[in-house]
Amino acid sequence: MWKLIRHGLNGNKPLPRMWRTHDLKDSYDVVIIGGGVHGLAAAYYLAKYHGITNVAVLEKRYIGSGGSGRNTTILRSNYLTPEGVAFYDESIKLYENLSVDLDFNVLFSQRGHLTLAHSDAAVRTMRWRAEVNQIQGVNSSLIYPDEIAKLCPHLDLSEHPRYPILGALYHPPGGIIRHDAVVWGYARGADERGVHIHQLTEVTGINVENNKVISVQTNCGTIKTGMVLNATAGWCSLICDMVDVKLPITSHPLQACVSEALKPFLDVVIVSGSLHVYVSQSDRGELVMGASIDPYQSYSLDSTLGFLESLSGHMLELFPSLSRVKILRQWAGVCDMTPDYSPIMGFTPVEGFVVDVGWGTYGFKAGPVSGKRMAELIATNRTPDLIAPFYLGRFEDGALIGEKGAASVGH
Amino acid sequence: MAIQAAVGRLPETPSQVINREKIVDFVFDGKTYTAYEGDTIASALVAAGVMTFSRSFKYHRRRGLLCAAGACPNCLVQVGDEANVRSCTTPVQAGMKVEAQNAMPSLDVDVMSATQLVDSFLPAGFYYKAFIRPQALWPTYERFLRQAAGLGKIDPDSEPGYFDKIYKHVDVAVIGGGPAGLRAALAAAKSGARVILMDDQSSPGGHLRYRMDEIDGLPAYEYVAKMAAELVGFSNVEILTNTTAVGRYDRNWVGAVTGNRLIKLRTKALIVATGAYEIPLLFENNDLPGIMLGSAVQRMIHLWGVVPGARAVVVSANRRGLQAALDLIAAGVHIEALAEMREEPDADLIRKLSAEHVMIFKRTTIKRAWGIGKVQGVSLESLHSGQIHEFPCDLLLVSTGYTPANQLLFQAGGKLRWNEQIHEFTLDMLPSDVFAAGEAAATHLLEDIEREGELAGLQAAQFAGFGGKIEKVTFLAAKVEERRAERIPWTQIHIAEDEAKKDFVCICEDVTRKEIKQSIQEGFDSVELLKRYSTVSMGPCQGKMCNINAIHVCAHYNQKTVAETGNTTSRPPVTPVTMGALGGRLMEPVRVSPMHDWHVKHGAVMMNAGLWKRPDHYGDPSAEVRAVRERVGLIDVTPLGKFHLRGPGVPGLLERVYTNRWQKLDVGRVRYGLMVTEEGVVLDDGVTARLDDDFYYMTATSSGASGIFENMEWNLQSGWSYDVHLLNVTDLRAAMNLAGPRSRDVLAKIIQGVDLSNAAFPYMSVRQATIAGIPVLLLRIGFTGELSYEIHTPSGYGLHIWEALLKAGEEFGITPFGVEAQRILRLEKGHIIVSQDTDGLTNPFEAGMEWAVKLDKQDFTGKASLLMANQKGVTKKLVGFEMPDGTIPEEANQIVRPGNGPIGLEIIGRITSVRRSPTLKKVIGLCWLPTEMSEPGQEFTIRVRGQMKTGRVVPLPFYDPDGLKLNS
Ligand SMILES: Cc1cc2nc3c(=O)[nH]c(=O)nc-3n(C[C@H](O)[C@H](O)[C@H](O)COP(=O)(O)OP(=O)(O)OC[C@H]3O[C@@H](n4cnc5c(N)ncnc54)[C@H](O)[C@@H]3O)c2cc1C
Repeated sequence: MWKLIRHGLNGNKPLPRMWRTHDLKDSYDVVIIGGGVHGLAAAYYLAKYHGITNVAVLEKRYIGSGGSGRNTTILRSNYLTPEGVAFYDESIKLYENLSVDLDFNVLFSQRGHLTLAHSDAAVRTMRWRAEVNQIQGVNSSLIYPDEIAKLCPHLDLSEHPRYPILGALYHPPGGIIRHDAVVWGYARGADERGVHIHQLTEVTGINVENNKVISVQTNCGTIKTGMVLNATAGWCSLICDMVDVKLPITSHPLQACVSEALKPFLDVVIVSGSLHVYVSQSDRGELVMGASIDPYQSYSLDSTLGFLESLSGHMLELFPSLSRVKILRQWAGVCDMTPDYSPIMGFTPVEGFVVDVGWGTYGFKAGPVSGKRMAELIATNRTPDLIAPFYLGRFEDGALIGEKGAASVGH
Repeated sequence: MAIQAAVGRLPETPSQVINREKIVDFVFDGKTYTAYEGDTIASALVAAGVMTFSRSFKYHRRRGLLCAAGACPNCLVQVGDEANVRSCTTPVQAGMKVEAQNAMPSLDVDVMSATQLVDSFLPAGFYYKAFIRPQALWPTYERFLRQAAGLGKIDPDSEPGYFDKIYKHVDVAVIGGGPAGLRAALAAAKSGARVILMDDQSSPGGHLRYRMDEIDGLPAYEYVAKMAAELVGFSNVEILTNTTAVGRYDRNWVGAVTGNRLIKLRTKALIVATGAYEIPLLFENNDLPGIMLGSAVQRMIHLWGVVPGARAVVVSANRRGLQAALDLIAAGVHIEALAEMREEPDADLIRKLSAEHVMIFKRTTIKRAWGIGKVQGVSLESLHSGQIHEFPCDLLLVSTGYTPANQLLFQAGGKLRWNEQIHEFTLDMLPSDVFAAGEAAATHLLEDIEREGELAGLQAAQFAGFGGKIEKVTFLAAKVEERRAERIPWTQIHIAEDEAKKDFVCICEDVTRKEIKQSIQEGFDSVELLKRYSTVSMGPCQGKMCNINAIHVCAHYNQKTVAETGNTTSRPPVTPVTMGALGGRLMEPVRVSPMHDWHVKHGAVMMNAGLWKRPDHYGDPSAEVRAVRERVGLIDVTPLGKFHLRGPGVPGLLERVYTNRWQKLDVGRVRYGLMVTEEGVVLDDGVTARLDDDFYYMTATSSGASGIFENMEWNLQSGWSYDVHLLNVTDLRAAMNLAGPRSRDVLAKIIQGVDLSNAAFPYMSVRQATIAGIPVLLLRIGFTGELSYEIHTPSGYGLHIWEALLKAGEEFGITPFGVEAQRILRLEKGHIIVSQDTDGLTNPFEAGMEWAVKLDKQDFTGKASLLMANQKGVTKKLVGFEMPDGTIPEEANQIVRPGNGPIGLEIIGRITSVRRSPTLKKVIGLCWLPTEMSEPGQEFTIRVRGQMKTGRVVPLPFYDPDGLKLNS
């Protein structure tokens, strides 16, 4: 705040650059591919906690141009498996202090998150999640229509023929955030500590000798390095192909849209799995809305009319009074889907090539914890306990971490 | 008293679209105004002297009519329960209640406008740098920020209203009904193609509708009306007015909106002739009410007969600006001064203006406007000498530039390139099925526009397979190319060197030039990042007004060219669309069985099961359970998935989709089958009966039905199975289950053609028979654990059979039972419900169904995963339990033991099903436990509503362990 006032009183002298541009060096200790929240957070924590600053973040477009700038910013930790809950909970705790940590307001709004149950089976699943959450120390409970009405008076809670609202999983610490601010804040923090952020720098190949990474090729030149972190989310399989690491991942488009800005009327995040829709109202007043992934595999960023149609129809089933609210803009991102809806983090069969991928439709909320723990993994060369269950080999070992029930629409 | 509208009106002219005979009243901010039929809200308000329409997003500055074309945010109003209505394109209706938006408390007195006094402290992205400490206060700040942001309001009682959708299919679709679009449509129509022309205005004509200059001896608006009239004569042409194309999607799938209707159009060829947006100029206070674009003033004068001022200053940089000045003079407005940015403006028009004694400043632009609440004067600055001239005025007309309305072209994959010569984005490349013409392609001279339109029409028709004259196409194409090379700029963008206060690049978001400069200094130096940080172009105009200026400012401060700076992505929809129109009619299909009305009439409490409505119970589920156990009951199971499988390949398909064996199933026999996913996860279960050599009948769970059908189709279509004809008869058959010790007796009374004795018709077999002459299929299977028959019959006879059974059962005390009783019955028998007792990871071994998995048979779905799972062994098991103390846990309660979690517990299992059993008079259920704790007799702890309770493992099934009842 004082900085702003000083800036105002100074006749608005130029503010410092948030991050600088550099020439690509010949070699870096660590090369991070992907300038999204995961890559940038890893860089930040490498520098901050482990003093590893000879780090390059390579981003083919501009930072945040992938999922990190396209997501619908829902943060929560009310997952289903004990492993998942513990992991996402640490991320939410990091997010809670992130504005102060980065000295950059990321506008984290812990306004509460409601996952609606439209059937007995869904009520059961919500209770399941609430029970698991409570035992894990996460604030979640199953609530019923009278309480839902108080939190969200605009919802249609009447005896609807098709999708009556029978209950909801209420998760007070859940909420939304300004995604770009998180990306920029991490970028600034990493840059301040000496990390090089290279935008418009695309990785085109990775050289491996004796099963060890030796260098990375980009459109701007080759970089020598012994440690590469793949943090490219939707495009992660393409990077893994470069070193012949096979991932059980398929990439699917995920679409979203916003309405025109309205005065505040929706204070919580609403998710309905049966209706494939979720919505929150941003601080700017826009309704931010999304659905589940498109059923086909593609790297396309094209939007479809069908998405707007089905999303709007479903929104109106929940909120019949919004029929004259207008959609302003739609877009799509690419999601790296794993079979169990949990991420893949850790070492791979190639030495010096580690992954932080499989973020699907839910990975923004995990940026801080993944960044922190992957930095720890790189710095110590051992896998932190918290992320150990998410190892790549689990698909061969049959040790899946099933989060489909908690992550397919809820993100 | 209504405020008279006629004050600012000109005499009637033929170009006007208002009917002065019909007067309508409406209310704006509590005052009643009078308008004519044909007026928009905006034209009526301007006619009544209203200048402030809204308060701006951030600084709550007054904003007045600017574009009058539905593009900018300034005239957004609330109409009844609809927020953000563009008043300049919305016709007035009698009794309309219109309110200004974002005014606190009112348009005239807005306390929030004080924010602009401290704007030095609110640079772009100020909120990222403020309110960080103390953290505890952030929620309070946030509430304040939220309250200040946002425009219109939501009325929770708003009725959804009627919306619908329509499909259209044509050869050539033309978007935009100006001279380019009309020429294109005419050319395509003459070739015989089916053509649709859409225009967002109330009649075609585009910018010529409000132009008076002569073309071919006619005033422009008449000239274009003639063109439109010619098009109306074609029977292969459909003209849709008031229709906005909002998105071009893959393969020329076009979404368009007219009123409450969404049009979904598939066209072979698409012609985009959407014209151009006139754009504002950057100068200090460029947002004051009373500053209007040239085209807006022309619309006001010629369409609605409204003069928006008395003393005007004009800033021009193209022919149309000078024409607009002449229009003002003709409308009786005094022109104080005319600043012309070009060195050599059109001599013919300058001559006319000089003849009217207009003071003309060449190579001059505007530096600053001033005024309190509205424009009261301007400073003009010579671009040569820097000399300043000041003039008072109440209207500032700005006509200095255009930007093509090329969003649809961009969405179609067109590559846009900045054209340095004409200062606009032009097209580098278009997909072969998309064509562009006129101002959308940055062509502004009418002659060229028409020629381009005709060329596009011919080419599009040709593409769609309609012959055209090739010579004509070649000739036109050459001509268009030649003229393109000669084009002169219609757009001047001027960025002053010195810094002004409050020159708004983005009027939607109140982003000033200074803020853009500051954002760039902070590192947001690419247009995409700049947009996200400063929020320029993120508002309701979607960049129509600001994009070009923003790119220029960005280039300017980066010391780069505009071409190097590039453009941001243009995302659909082109104009905001209501969710109502996109959602269409909210159909809420419900599936009901033929016996539905009977259930309702007999007091059933219905429940939802997916789309199905099913009786949950008829009053007393426990009594229903007892009836089945002691006598006989009847349940409607119509929602079961039902499939006919015919052909020699059926056993092969069954082998593939089920985990057990199917090669040897005798005719007349039924077998239980289990399906798993590729990952080996339990997916569905059901039975399949062999009715004849090549004819099988399969059932699946109600919720699994459609997925299972798709799954089998997938197997057939992708070559995994052959020679099967698969038919989904779920909706064609009614089904009911007659269960209980007396069920055979009931059936015996009314069935023909089958020997019901246990020996002739044993458990797990199927028979075809008739009841009262109606064919039925009888499956002797039992989910309830009693002797029972599942009866399938054509839907139309369902109710008849249902009633016949109840009648026959009267003497045995037959009772209809619902889903709840069935759940209890199956639980007593220890049967699982897939997806309730199993979850997204459960394999059959854990679920105690290893008997249904044959790992030694040839490949089947999930085999590889199951082999692996089998090798690993099971670490947890689904087992039966009872509650010694009679507590009824809730389904999904967790089984725990002491551990080092946050509340000292570790999760080791969970309850999946639980009921109080009326038969056994105790609480029973199914739960997941670690294998080592799953032996009968072992006790465990359940967290029930926060309390610790003890459960005990018991063997399954709870009821009739030896299956004597089933086989009786
Ligand atoms: C519409 C939508 C809604 C979502 N909603 C939510 C939500 O509500 N909550 C939530 O938690 N998550 C959500 N997600 C998911 C979330 O956005 C992602 O999981 C997350 O942003 C992934 O972050 P990342 O840093 O790993 O990847 P990204 O942000 O995608 O960054 C990867 C970067 O790698 C770059 N890259 C790719 N290939 C190369 C190369 N060869 N060389 C250099 N750079 C390369 C890309 O340009 C990209 O910038 C949503 C996603 C979408 C698309």
